[in-house]
Amino acid sequence: MTRALVVTGAGGVGKTTVSAALAVAASRAGLRTLVVTVDPAQRLATALGIELTNEPSPHPEEPQLWAAMLDATASWREVARRHADPEVTDRLVDNEFFVAATSHFPASQSYAAAEQAATYLDARAWDLVIVDTPPASGGIDFFTAPGQMADLVGGRLLRWLTGARIPGRRFLFNRTAKPVLRLADQVLGANLLERIAEFLMDLRTTYDGVAKRARQIERHMKSATTLVVTTSEPAAMREAVRFFRALPAVASAPAAVVFNRVLPEEWIGAEAPAMSHNNLVENLERWAAEAFRQRSARREFGERYPTAIATIPWQAHPPTDRQALAAMVESADGLPDLW
Amino acid sequence: MTRLVLVSGKGGVGKSAVAAAYAFAAKRTGSRVLAVDMINAGSLGPHLGEPELSFTPRPVGDGLEALTIDRADALIEYLRVQIGVPALATIGPAARAFDALASTAPAVREVVTMGKVLWEVKKGTWDVVVADAPPTGQIGSFLRSPRSVRQLVATGRILDQVEWMDAILTDPALAQLVLVTLLEELPVVETTETQGWVLEEALVGDVTIVANRVLPALGTAVPEDDGPMVEAARLHQSLWSEQQEWATRLEIDLRLPYLFGTHTPPEVAERLADVLEEEP
Repeated sequence: MTRALVVTGAGGVGKTTVSAALAVAASRAGLRTLVVTVDPAQRLATALGIELTNEPSPHPEEPQLWAAMLDATASWREVARRHADPEVTDRLVDNEFFVAATSHFPASQSYAAAEQAATYLDARAWDLVIVDTPPASGGIDFFTAPGQMADLVGGRLLRWLTGARIPGRRFLFNRTAKPVLRLADQVLGANLLERIAEFLMDLRTTYDGVAKRARQIERHMKSATTLVVTTSEPAAMREAVRFFRALPAVASAPAAVVFNRVLPEEWIGAEAPAMSHNNLVENLERWAAEAFRQRSARREFGERYPTAIATIPWQAHPPTDRQALAAMVESADGLPDLW
Repeated sequence: MTRLVLVSGKGGVGKSAVAAAYAFAAKRTGSRVLAVDMINAGSLGPHLGEPELSFTPRPVGDGLEALTIDRADALIEYLRVQIGVPALATIGPAARAFDALASTAPAVREVVTMGKVLWEVKKGTWDVVVADAPPTGQIGSFLRSPRSVRQLVATGRILDQVEWMDAILTDPALAQLVLVTLLEELPVVETTETQGWVLEEALVGDVTIVANRVLPALGTAVPEDDGPMVEAARLHQSLWSEQQEWATRLEIDLRLPYLFGTHTPPEVAERLADVLEEEP
């Protein structure tokens, strides 16, 4: 059976690096591992040592490791292809509103990610699939996007606007919608409205497929192991807290919250040796203050949210190769058994 | 004449703190300032010392008011004030349905949000409007929205609005886009890319690059030793040289310091405002 490990957290906390590091560690522990990343830094891609594409590719040097990158636009086209008639698909992907709606829909990238991840899980080709989530809403979107997507294409509003049945290509708005449409005509222009309507009608034909798929994806997500990555920065922690509050409704409780870039607690209150250079003494003081702030933040979090807390030390340099990525996991403290 | 400062940046670089700092710095010069949380992201309020902002401007100290843009409220106001749609048609289910419809059309949603910000600039109540803008990943569709609407909509009243909006945005004397970055790979790459297309498409009058959380130089050699002091020096030295390397990829207009230790969000904004104030 393929296990899913979903890594969430705010942007800029090192989530993608942690995902890659876990993947290297898991594959070296003997698991056939696929890591799916979102827009990694060039340096991380180089460190991982594999060219990342939309398709999972085996690592040339790590026999148990596969990697893929998430391409939100390409995935959306695939979603449309999967769930719409060929003729409708062509019209959809060429439609300016498809492009707009898919890029505007707040959970669009997350839905594409969730659908792609579910496809890999269904393939049963790996023991472990590690998914690095898009940064929007700290990863909550990733879990709620399938449901939102089904709502979007089958939503009550859409039904209300287009009438309960789909009358082919003919455009029939129902009567209660008329005042709104007149208003929209005046403000947006009639031509625009017709084109939107056409798009919405096409989109509706995908409803059955999308709704069914959304339920499958949701089942996968509910059984996935989740990990929340954060730093001790207030903004990143606000995201982590938001995730903790929203999570019980949509996924399993996180296996751990991982604090990244943690400074050594020994620095707190450490004395500089006598006769040290003033700059060095001052430097110790300011980093000790940082270490203190970090520890307080972790403790406060632990008191409010009963969960396993793991820490990864602050690396002086970002990992430059797979050895450094594996070492990052080894240096972690308090990480639960994830595979 | 009202000046507009739009503060954007990659997620996690401290853009809301910097936006609050710009608001504080402007307030200290005696200006009447409005701070705007453009996409109701919720992190501007804490830095201003007022966690809960509303669509109606609310005072947050002398000479400074703040509001957050809720899209539904913004749409209703936009339809009423700018398009001239009577209030009756803009309430309740009709407005919600229109909101959903308008949101499907490219640029309409963004034009409504930009419209609110630029309306506050246009009406002349404030000397400075500081907006905590969407992150760099989304800012393009907001800045381009007046032009996108012009291309997309052949008729309709919304067309009349986009001319003056674009005129404000592209006037260097009126509008400034501040791109906040950290001196790390991803933010630097995203900042240079953003700066590139903003200038190429002439979307905003002026672009300012602000590097946040810049470390001071250690100012002495790291001893060959161990213990916390040396470890701290080693970490500092390597982070500092990392920052120096990424700094060469950008033309930085302003550097804001890394604030060590514990500060409340308003303290962070006030400290950064101190630095902004010293700058010309």
